[in-house]
Amino acid sequence: MSLVSLQSVSKTYTKGRERVDVLANLSLDIQENDFVALMGPSGSGKTTVLNLIGGLDHPTDGEVFVGGASLKSLSAGKLARWRSQNIGFVFQFYNLLPALTAQRNVELPLLLTKLKGKERKQNALTALDIVGLADRSRHRPSQLSGGQQQRVAIARAIVADPAILVCDEPTGDLDRTNAEEILDLLETLNRKHEKTIVMVTHDPKAAEHAKTTVYLDKGQLSVQEPSTSEN
Amino acid sequence: MGRIQFLIRCMFRHKLRTILTMLSLVTAFLLFLMLRSVAVVFEAGWVDFEETRLTTQSKYSMIDRLPLAHEDVIHSIDGVVEVTHASWFGGVFKEGETGDATFAIDPTTYFKVYSEYVVDPDQLAEFQSTRTAALAPESLMEKYGWEIGQKIPVISPIHPNPTGGPWIFDLVGTYASPDESNAFLAFLFHYERMVDTFAYGTAGWYMLTIDDPDRADEISAAIDKKFENSSDETRTMTESESFRQFAAQLGDISLIVTGILSAVFFTMILLTANTMVQGYHERVSELAVMKTLGFSNASVSVYILAEALLMCCISAAIGIGVGTLVVIGIQDYMPPMIPIYFDPITCAWAGLIAIGLGALVGSVPAINANRLVIVDALHAH
Repeated sequence: MSLVSLQSVSKTYTKGRERVDVLANLSLDIQENDFVALMGPSGSGKTTVLNLIGGLDHPTDGEVFVGGASLKSLSAGKLARWRSQNIGFVFQFYNLLPALTAQRNVELPLLLTKLKGKERKQNALTALDIVGLADRSRHRPSQLSGGQQQRVAIARAIVADPAILVCDEPTGDLDRTNAEEILDLLETLNRKHEKTIVMVTHDPKAAEHAKTTVYLDKGQLSVQEPSTSEN
Repeated sequence: MGRIQFLIRCMFRHKLRTILTMLSLVTAFLLFLMLRSVAVVFEAGWVDFEETRLTTQSKYSMIDRLPLAHEDVIHSIDGVVEVTHASWFGGVFKEGETGDATFAIDPTTYFKVYSEYVVDPDQLAEFQSTRTAALAPESLMEKYGWEIGQKIPVISPIHPNPTGGPWIFDLVGTYASPDESNAFLAFLFHYERMVDTFAYGTAGWYMLTIDDPDRADEISAAIDKKFENSSDETRTMTESESFRQFAAQLGDISLIVTGILSAVFFTMILLTANTMVQGYHERVSELAVMKTLGFSNASVSVYILAEALLMCCISAAIGIGVGTLVVIGIQDYMPPMIPIYFDPITCAWAGLIAIGLGALVGSVPAINANRLVIVDALHAH
């Protein structure tokens, strides 16, 4: 059974009197421990797919199943709790809280758990260690480079040990070197830590790190194929 | 990092702005405590005054004088022990000053009614036997550097000396009250010196002692009934109430204080709300990220509301703390006409206002945070 399954999903946004159909009857299955790159032109619905998988948005029609459970039936509160336990988010612009140090940013999702302060701190440091930033734990985001900030964001995404990471153009704001480092890190998380990763990207080189590449066009799946680097 | 620590970090994310807002709030609560500490006395009366002492004055205005003949009538009322009278002289000791309390009194009965006053028996005897004699409280002696035996010139705009020039008094002694903070100590001289003024034959007010404090209302009513429908009707009340009314001639202190505080807190609402709204707008994407990470709509709202409450309550605690120390420190040194009294209820009110203010200024950003749609907020920022 697929870990993530979008079944005949449509999404329509209304702007005033105008209706914008972003996704039209899209079906997509993502297997456990897959690393999927979602590609396609701007406005093709990539981020919308990511938002639906992450439980940030609801489809207009169709249904989204994650781990066999339908997200449709969850209330806003339950959906929030579900997100905190099952999904890790990585954004293009890192979205760290500037008032908090790296360690405290990583600790933030753990405030929603029953872990004690000491355990939260230890888990945050472990997550920072995984992304190679244990020595920057006391730095604020403004004291870190873009690549380092994205690593902190990844540490925040994995600290609660979710099964799925959704990454919205995680290398979009980085130079090639830093982008490669982040992609290598994601690959490690996928292979070594068995995280299922869904990544939106415009960059074909980034997509080469994924196991599967999905192309979207005008809200519909155009191609789903193994990445060229996969063997 | 615990939730409280996270809250404090968020509150001080813009340190200077938060500190300036909190300083404004501290000032507001300090002002609240001090002004209320004054107003509470005017509202409640000088509760520490001896309530076995009553004051009888003209029913319609304390400026109107009463005939001296009232004294015997008042004395005849059941329960009245001693009666004396006094008249406001409006004496000025130094040109250019507004003047100090100066009373023309009956020297034989005044210290019987104010039996707690401490005065040297020899000085009192000399005061009672010398028509030009005067007694001054220690505070006036110190203020003007007087010495016993000195002649004191006094000008009165109300009662000018018919011979021209100032009134001259012989300072024969001094007197004091065991509790100066609650006493209204005046420069005292013989009523007989007013023989050449229009006021002679009348008294400004009467003070009397009664045998039972529980009968104060009954005796007050009996005195006023005696003069009912006469040309000189009276109004009798306890001394504390009399002082409260006298002070109220300066203006409705409570109303003035309420007006000032309303303006201060209205400004505070605008200022703090502005800080909170600015903070909210700057943090829309952060709040969206928090929701993305799994914080529920309600918990994000609670954080925003708690931040506003924390800011107001910390500021209030500092303001109340400093204000309490100031009020307790100065209340024993305030002049009788500007009393100040530390009242714990004022602190409780300040606490409630802090909670109300926090809830008010935090509610709009909290509601907005609750309604924040993650996808829209992340897209917009």
